[in-house]
Amino acid sequence: MPGRKSDIFFIVVALGAAAFGLMMAHAHHRNGNAGSGLKEKAMLVERLELTDLCLFSDARYARHPSMADLHSAFQDSPMAMEHFPSGTVILPPPHLRLR
Amino acid sequence: MVELKHITKIFNRNRPDEFTALEDVSLLVEARKATVFKGPSGSGKTTLLSIIGAMAKPTSGRVFLDGREITSLPERFLTEVRRRTFGFIFQQFHLIRGISALENVMLPAYTTGEKHAALRDRALRLLDLFGLAAKARSRVEWLSGGEAQRVTIARALVNDPAVVIADEPTAHLDTKLSKDFLGIMAQLNAEGKTILIASHDPLVYESALVDRVVEMRDGRLRGSGQAA
Amino acid sequence: MSLLERHRNIIDFALSSLGRRWKKNIALTLVYAFTVFTLASVIFFTEAVKREARAVLQGAPEIVVQRLMAGRHDLIPAVYIDTLKKITGVGQVKGRLWGYYYEPSTGANYTVVASGNPPLEPGTIAVGQGVSRTLHAAEGDLIPLKGADGAYVSFEVTRVFSHASELVSADLIEMPAGDLRAFFGIPEGFYTDLTLKVRNEKELVVVADKIRRLLPDTRPILRDEILRTYDSLFDWRSGLLLVIFAGAVAAFIIFAWDKATSLSMEERREMGVLKAVGWETSEVIAMKSWEGVIISLTAFFGGTLFAYVHVFFSSALLFEPVLKGWAVLYPRFQLVPHIDPYQVLALFFLTVVPYTVATVIPSWNAATVDPDSIMRL
Repeated sequence: MPGRKSDIFFIVVALGAAAFGLMMAHAHHRNGNAGSGLKEKAMLVERLELTDLCLFSDARYARHPSMADLHSAFQDSPMAMEHFPSGTVILPPPHLRLR
Repeated sequence: MVELKHITKIFNRNRPDEFTALEDVSLLVEARKATVFKGPSGSGKTTLLSIIGAMAKPTSGRVFLDGREITSLPERFLTEVRRRTFGFIFQQFHLIRGISALENVMLPAYTTGEKHAALRDRALRLLDLFGLAAKARSRVEWLSGGEAQRVTIARALVNDPAVVIADEPTAHLDTKLSKDFLGIMAQLNAEGKTILIASHDPLVYESALVDRVVEMRDGRLRGSGQAA
Repeated sequence: MSLLERHRNIIDFALSSLGRRWKKNIALTLVYAFTVFTLASVIFFTEAVKREARAVLQGAPEIVVQRLMAGRHDLIPAVYIDTLKKITGVGQVKGRLWGYYYEPSTGANYTVVASGNPPLEPGTIAVGQGVSRTLHAAEGDLIPLKGADGAYVSFEVTRVFSHASELVSADLIEMPAGDLRAFFGIPEGFYTDLTLKVRNEKELVVVADKIRRLLPDTRPILRDEILRTYDSLFDWRSGLLLVIFAGAVAAFIIFAWDKATSLSMEERREMGVLKAVGWETSEVIAMKSWEGVIISLTAFFGGTLFAYVHVFFSSALLFEPVLKGWAVLYPRFQLVPHIDPYQVLALFFLTVVPYTVATVIPSWNAATVDPDSIMRL
C-alpha cells in the first residue's frame, strides 16, 4: 500500500518537530546577535536619562509607568475614564503597590 | 468442541423491558461439523450464536471451549480466544464505510502486532480466493451486496479461525448468490472448519452441506434432528 | 517491535477515522490552533518585551527624585540639589528637564526631553520615528510646535532616531535645555525632577531613606524599581491579559468538549464493529486517543510556529489594536526572539490535557459496549 497513512503522519510530525527545533535554534541564535539594536537603545537611555519604554503613548501613567504617582489616573480630568486597553494591560508598578 | 450447559440469557434485567432471549439451553457443538440453527425470528438464534462465539456472556449457565471453561474469563483473554477461534459473518455485514475492502479484511488482525506486509498479503490472498482481488482497494460502499458479503467472509477468515459462524447469511441474497455462499461454506467445512449457521431459509437448512439441524422456538431448543 | 506495529495499525485506522469526518475535524484543529496561537503570541511577546526592558534600562538613572505637592507631581526646586549633594554616599546630582507635548493636529502625545551630551544646537531638535511618522517630518524639515505662551516656535529636525531604537525613542523629541525651558515656561531654578548617582550601589536603599527624611515632600525612585516595573508590567494577573488567557482557554475547552464529546451514531457504530471483530476495549480507547493526539500535535505545532512568526517577524501585528488603544503613535517592535521552554511546555499541557480528557471520556462509554451490541443496534 503506497504511502501508508501512519507513515505520512510520522513524517508530518517529524517535519513539525524539525520546524520547532529550527524555531528554537533561530531564537537562540538571534539572542546572541541582538547586540547592536540593544546597545543603541541602551546608549540612548543613558545619554538622555530615560526611564521607560515607549509602549503606550495615550496616557502619562502608561507612558512612564515607573514614574507614575498615585493620582495619575485622575490628572487629565476629574471625570477621565481610565485609558483602555493600556490601563487594563498594565498594573501599577510594584513600588506603588507595596505601600 | 463448544459445550453450553444450562445457558440463560436475559436482556434488560430488572427493568420493565426485561426480555428472556434464551432459557436453559444445553448444547454440544461438534467440531468439523456444519450445524444449522433453525427457527422463526425472535427464537434466540442470534443470541445463541453470540454466546457460542464468545461475543456475549450468558446471564447464567456455563460455556466450555475444548473442555476449558470460558464463561467468566476476563475481557482480555476472552477477546484473544475469540479472535483466534471464531470468525463471525454478520447478517448486516457491518463493514466500515470509507475504507477499502482490503483494510476491512485486515481490521480484526490490526491489534495483534503482526507485520503489516504479511497481514496485507494474507488478506489479499483471501480476497483473491473469493474473486475480489481487483476490488481489494475499492471502498466497500461501492461493492454490490454479494461482493460485500464475500468481503465479510474474508474478514471472518483473516485470523484462520477453527469455527465460522454466520447469522442469516442468505437474508439479502438471491438464490444464485445463496447457493454460491453455501458452496463456500461447504469448501471451508471440507477444509476442516466447524460451520454454524442461523437461518430460517429452507435453502440453507435443507442443503446437503448440513450435518445437523437444531430447532429453536421462544429461546428454547426443540430436539436436534439429523438433516434430511 | 510488535507494539510499534500495533500502534502503527491503530494510527492508520485513527487517521482514516478522522478523515471520514474531516469537516468537523478541520474546524476543531483550526480553533485549537488559533487558541494556541493566541496564547503563545502573548507569551512570546510579553517575555520579549520584559527582557528588552531589562537589558535596555540598565543605563537608567540610579535614583530619580520627584517632588510631590498636594499629592501631585510638581517641579522640583534646584536648591534641593545642594541638600542631596550633602548626603554621604551621593556622587553626582543632576536636574532633569522633560515633559509631554500634545499635538492637536495629529492627536498624538510626544515626550520632550532636554538634550544630553553632546547638546543640540539651539533651535534644533532630534525626533523619534513615531514623531517623524505622525508629523511627516524628515531630517532638515522645520516643524512648528505650540509653546506654553500660545505662540508657535519653529524647530529644525537635525536627526531622526533609528528604527532599531523605536522601543525607547519612538515618541521622543530631544530639545536643547534652554529652548525647552522657554518652550514649556519652566522657570529658572526649577527642574522636572532630579537624578542621582551613588558611589556605592549597596548604599542605594540607605540613601533613598535619607532623601525621604531630609526632603519629605519628595519621592525617590530606584533603578531597581524601574526595572521591576517592567518585569511585572505584563503580569498575567493584569486585567486584559487575564481576560485573553481565561477567555481563550475557556472558549477552547467548551468548543473541544462539545465537538469531541458528540460522538456521532456513525462513530459509535464503528467502535461497535471494532469490538465485534476482536478489538479490546483498551485498543478502541487507544484509537480514539490517537485521534486526539493527532489533532493536538498538529494544532500545537502549527499554532506555536505561527505565533513565533507573528511576534518576531511581523512585530506582533495582531496586537497593535489592543496595545495602541487611544494612542495615535505606536512604536514598531523589532523584538529579540526568545523562547522559554518551560512556558512552551506549560502551554502544551494547558491545551493538550483538557483536549485529551475531552476525547477519551466520552469514548470510554462507547468503547465499553459488549461485542455483540452491534448486532442489536
